[in-house]
Amino acid sequence: MQNEESLVQRARQHDQEAFAQLYEEYFDKIYRYVAFKIGDRTEAEDMTQQVFVKALRSISSFRWKGRPFSAWLFRIAHNLIVDYLRKRSRRAAVPLAEPMPAGDGDPQQAAEQRLDIDRLALATRQLTEAQREVISLRFAGELPIAQVARVMGKNEGAVKALQHSAIAALRRALRTQDNDE
Amino acid sequence: MMSKEFDNILDECLERLLVKGETIEQCLQSYPEQAAELEPLLRTALATGKAVDFQPRPEFRAKARYQFRSALREMEGGSRRSLFGWFPRWATSVAIVLVVLVAGSGTVAAASNSMPDSPLYSVKLTTEQVRLTLTPSPLGKAEFCASLADRRIEEILYAAGKGNPRQVEEVTRELDVCLTRLSSLASTQGEKGGVMLAPTPTPAPAEVAPESTDGGERTYSHGNNQLKLKLALKHHAQSHPAALREKLKTVPPATRAALLRAIAVSEDGYEKVLKTLD
Repeated sequence: MQNEESLVQRARQHDQEAFAQLYEEYFDKIYRYVAFKIGDRTEAEDMTQQVFVKALRSISSFRWKGRPFSAWLFRIAHNLIVDYLRKRSRRAAVPLAEPMPAGDGDPQQAAEQRLDIDRLALATRQLTEAQREVISLRFAGELPIAQVARVMGKNEGAVKALQHSAIAALRRALRTQDNDE
Repeated sequence: MMSKEFDNILDECLERLLVKGETIEQCLQSYPEQAAELEPLLRTALATGKAVDFQPRPEFRAKARYQFRSALREMEGGSRRSLFGWFPRWATSVAIVLVVLVAGSGTVAAASNSMPDSPLYSVKLTTEQVRLTLTPSPLGKAEFCASLADRRIEEILYAAGKGNPRQVEEVTRELDVCLTRLSSLASTQGEKGGVMLAPTPTPAPAEVAPESTDGGERTYSHGNNQLKLKLALKHHAQSHPAALREKLKTVPPATRAALLRAIAVSEDGYEKVLKTLD
């Protein structure tokens, strides 16, 4: 990808190709982040589209000022997720229409990944909200630590510490699952 | 202090593992003193990374990309004023009629069956626009739009068969415009309490609905009523994506992405139309 800052500048001036490149760069990452956070494929697909439509509508208000585009985009996704989860918690417990996605390739591999996702989703319930956010942004969103820090509004040291405690807590939770089986 | 140092080492190893593709052993070799503490954490991190490495469904990816590109074009279009934007709607219609008359009725007749690779195809599209503009009733417009959607599917199948992804894309855009207009016509009728949103009786058997896309051109302008239109649309909502999916099995790889977008546009478009009707 071309220098991201120059792409963003072009996108702000309604350069379609520049925005399309940014879209291609972040589409999978945003989708994974959203799907991992809300655990529902259909909703994740809708929300991923909403993220980019919102970004498209408000790109002219984006100012670089040291905050990278990815942090801004993931912040849009984060806010939509918060709204969604708030509304979902207000409703009666409705079974999820389509659960977390697994791979679309080899069925055996997809089944194994499905199991891994289910175990991981269960284990993340033992984490604090901040720990979950670090895991989602770092692993599903594939953001480097500096950008995770920007999205979460924390310094890098604090996010590294959170990352450490989150992985340790995940490990404990997964081991507990293994012992229970 | 020690913990901060360990947090940095852990993060560095994660970068090497997840981004650079190094192995856990390579990381541990760099930090032998921390290896015992590092290893289980890196294994958990690696398993987490693998578990969340799922991809969006190809159909969703194609549909989302198409819709995003359309949104981009709309924004771009909105920021410019088109030539016709300066004229009142009636003047635009008159201008188009004049163009068609100048082109000659023989040309128009010849164009009516043209396919996207024909030089007469643009005449066909213009003629359709004229006819649509001059159709007085919303129901008549909706019926005509439904028949245009049918034509667009045939043209997409034709272009896909010829292995021409660019033409598939172009006709898909026309299909999108057509289905969007249909949806908006249906909702306008609904707001006016009009005919198209009247309760639908039990769906009729399949033979009442028009034939599938391989049966040639059909129009709904002679003696068909709203019920027939609804049934036709419900039928098209099934048969159009099905015909495109069937074609997907035989097209060259270079045309697949364009055809997937056409499927997505067709499914999404009909879903919206039917939602409005229901």
